Amino acid sequence: MAPLTSLFAFVALLFAFAIATHTSNWAVLVSTSRFWFNYRHLANVLSLYRTVKRLGIPDSQIILMLPDDMACNPRNSFPGTVFNDKSRLLDLYDDKGQGEQKGMGGIEVDYRGNEVTVENFIRLLTDRWPSSQPSSKRLMTDDRSNILIYMTGHGGNEFLKFQDAEEISSFDLADAFEQMWEKKRYHELLFMIDTCQANTMYPAFYTPNIIATGSSAKDQSSYSHHADQDVGVAVIDRWTYTNLEFLEARLNGTASDVRLGELFDYYTFDRVHSEAGVRYDLFPGGAEAARDRRILDFFGNVQGVEVDDGDAEDGSWREDLEKLKRFVEIAEAEEKRMAAKESPSEPASAQDGSIAEGRQKSGRPARDMAKGGESWLKQAVGVGSLLALGAAWVVIK
Amino acid sequence: MKLRDLLQLSSVLALFTLSHASSIPNQEYSEHLYLKPLANDHLHADFNFTATTPVADYDAQHFRYFPRSLAQILQYTHTTELHLRFALGRWDEEQWGSRPRNGRREGGTGVELWAWIEGQSEEADERWSDLVNSLSGLFCASLNFVDSTKTIRPVLSFEPEGTHPSGSGGSQLLHGMLPHEVVCTENLTPFLKMLPCKGKAGISSLLDGHKLFDASWQSMAVDVRPVCPSTNSRKDECVLEIQQTVSMALSIPRSMRDRHNPIPRPPPIEEIECDDSKVWNGHDTCYPKPSTGDLGWSLAKVFGRPIKGACPLGDADGAGDISLDVPLERTVEAQGSASSETEPSGLRKFSLQAATDFDVVLPRQDTVSSSSSTHPPLYASRQMTGYGQERGGMHATLRNPHPYPQKIVYLESLPWYLKPYMHTLEIQHGNIEKMFYTPALDRVRGTHLELVIEIPADSTVELNYDFEKAILRYTEYPPDANRGFDVAPAVIRVLPRNVSDPADGNNQDEYLRTTSLLLPLPTPDFSMPYNVIILTSTVIALGFGSIFNMLIRKFVLLEEVPASPLKTKVTMLKEKIAALLGKTSKKGSDTKPSEEPGPAAVIDPNAALNGSTDGSALTNGSAKLRNVKG
Repeated sequence: MAPLTSLFAFVALLFAFAIATHTSNWAVLVSTSRFWFNYRHLANVLSLYRTVKRLGIPDSQIILMLPDDMACNPRNSFPGTVFNDKSRLLDLYDDKGQGEQKGMGGIEVDYRGNEVTVENFIRLLTDRWPSSQPSSKRLMTDDRSNILIYMTGHGGNEFLKFQDAEEISSFDLADAFEQMWEKKRYHELLFMIDTCQANTMYPAFYTPNIIATGSSAKDQSSYSHHADQDVGVAVIDRWTYTNLEFLEARLNGTASDVRLGELFDYYTFDRVHSEAGVRYDLFPGGAEAARDRRILDFFGNVQGVEVDDGDAEDGSWREDLEKLKRFVEIAEAEEKRMAAKESPSEPASAQDGSIAEGRQKSGRPARDMAKGGESWLKQAVGVGSLLALGAAWVVIK
Repeated sequence: MKLRDLLQLSSVLALFTLSHASSIPNQEYSEHLYLKPLANDHLHADFNFTATTPVADYDAQHFRYFPRSLAQILQYTHTTELHLRFALGRWDEEQWGSRPRNGRREGGTGVELWAWIEGQSEEADERWSDLVNSLSGLFCASLNFVDSTKTIRPVLSFEPEGTHPSGSGGSQLLHGMLPHEVVCTENLTPFLKMLPCKGKAGISSLLDGHKLFDASWQSMAVDVRPVCPSTNSRKDECVLEIQQTVSMALSIPRSMRDRHNPIPRPPPIEEIECDDSKVWNGHDTCYPKPSTGDLGWSLAKVFGRPIKGACPLGDADGAGDISLDVPLERTVEAQGSASSETEPSGLRKFSLQAATDFDVVLPRQDTVSSSSSTHPPLYASRQMTGYGQERGGMHATLRNPHPYPQKIVYLESLPWYLKPYMHTLEIQHGNIEKMFYTPALDRVRGTHLELVIEIPADSTVELNYDFEKAILRYTEYPPDANRGFDVAPAVIRVLPRNVSDPADGNNQDEYLRTTSLLLPLPTPDFSMPYNVIILTSTVIALGFGSIFNMLIRKFVLLEEVPASPLKTKVTMLKEKIAALLGKTSKKGSDTKPSEEPGPAAVIDPNAALNGSTDGSALTNGSAKLRNVKG
């Protein structure tokens, strides 16, 4: 039992560390506009996709929503390719890398075409799905997960259009976040939105641990950055371009110690051509704490590497192996015992009984309401409280 | 306690793996690439990856080459045989001849899926729904849109390719198509991930989304089937085979363009070979000579890179075969090949070497090699006829170019909002031998129509029917409703000739599919409903508001309103002060009638009518009605 207790101690120690911070990172990247002339919105979202993938979030923890197909669109003269710059050096859709540099290894789109709807988006956030929903299309976060939510599309005062057919209001979004918080689906959340009047999307939020930022103030448009003559349309929006400029230049690896405040300070009017906004007040500790968060807490994956002491012996794995061996022996013995038990033919029903008993012991059994109260004390407390309530009512009246 | 369980589990797993290690030799993997230049400067490339696993290993969830992600889905949904297709573009039969692999490894435009699933009718439906949902997650496609309205149960069009043990009982065939689905790089990524070499080595290293989705025609297929020595063999003698196929027809000049500058721009006039025989030829006018001879190409130029060595996982002799189907007189230079041989027909075979890049170079050659294209079994096309938003017609043309009659199965899976009038179904120059028809139910299922038609030698059969277009509900329209609604292609199975044993002829039948169609449905102006909603809301607000007011509010005269206690106190105070002042300054003068609200405010209708000079009474009395919340 000694190794087991030490293991427990180790796990407990791990938890003590974990309480302070998050243990996983997720990204929800949503473009909401269809049609070829909205190429830039898909380029925006794919740029963010590449960035978070570059900084270590695996495909299984990125939910990518693309409402239309730009890469294989017949109007695209660069098949299978989406660019976010007219230099066309970087293919966002299937980055094969150049020379020694490794590409990002394909792309996995989770929701595409007509699947990108307000309903699906809210279901995704709140995780309300039929049982057949595949796990790759679910946001499987817990209360130790940091989530980056990035949205782009066409919007207005307190709404964002989805596919030119429906819209999500800031209140829907706020309520979805509240549900997420109640269901312990996030630890901290960074909400980014690039759309016209983007800053009107987040004042309705009322849930803690959210940092929100948008590209433009009320009654302001959010502009595109530049167009590519051969693609034929604008390729990226200004605010996203500014973000990328900063992230590409400053976050070169998974160890970069850059703070969110520096990113937010980078959104100047000269660069964005609109007034980018940030909301800090939902975050515990306010602006100061939020600005002091590392960017990699949201854009990169948590690097859960336990570093041993330098003088630890190399033979430690041998010990582990010994332990494992002991476990295997125990398991084998158990198996033999079970086999011996099973060999006499009768105990099938007896076993069933023991399982049921075990359940009664281990899990909390459903209470039999017909049995009534267990002790007179509870009854007395109940009567007392009723009397008190009655008295209060009489007095007030 | 949990931790201990977990450790126990892992140890059990370890034991388990060890005990099954002996069966690994039965798991096989091989890959083949077939290349053939086509007319019109095209190249047909056909990639095939085959992996097998014994059924016993499969049941024990022990996989080596068989993709685990797919196997778990198949096990969970009790799918015994699966065929999944992603297709794009059109195979030009007129120029390129009969379809590759007799059309058995291709699908209709978009996504097509059919599978044999164990279970009774409703159970199978449920498993089918699980299957399409899981596959949608695996292949990044909207396969979850294959719901009951897009699912049919064909009777004659498809036969199982695998050997299903006869005792296994009822497995059902379900079939669904998504003609609107886009096929793009995100579908290729999971496809490559399922391969043992993940596209890093072997022939799969050629597969690149930039080239594949630039092809004139491409089809990706996943086929899973059980293979047994014979139909009555035991289950543990069988193996499960997965075939992944990518077939494409690339335009050689197009795919050899610079990737960063793919838009064709005219070269400088000095570089063009001009046709002097034209009268308008001059120093500044040039009519380019048509290129003659065979285009020079190489794998590295067409696919953007050479093959990165053999995938070292397969069995030694079969892994990494490349066959190049060019005429004998064509020069072929192979680089980095382990062995090569030339068959008398001109078919060159190469095998790959591990860790050596392989490339085939075919230099430009002036002698035109005669490409012999074989006639396809049948030419088929299908169009929509008619005009207007209410009715239309379907018109299919099936041409048999051969001097013998052919029998075909013609399958249509129509969406429910296209309602065919079956009494108008007529066929010219041929005859319908059998017909299977499942009528559509609105929003529940689509039409399933299956016909066995005999087409006489050298003749054209025309099939016509009329249909009605349904009017959808406002919320049923997709965001791009004005584009039209896609109608899935018709699937045509050409039955083999003179086959006495149907099971024997199973592998000779050919498939072809028509193009998908766009059905324009009556679409509303989508801003109109908002206008209507706004107007209706206004009317309701006005009507309801006034009625609500009348029902729950009580109207009283201003004077009936009880004065607030503060006001009465203030008035009393005022009066007292006034009285005091009056006593001191104007002793004995007559006081005005007090303005107490109560008694003096009673309306005096007579006074009002008679035009009484008492002004205060009039103003008070002209009904200063104030409403009070009831």
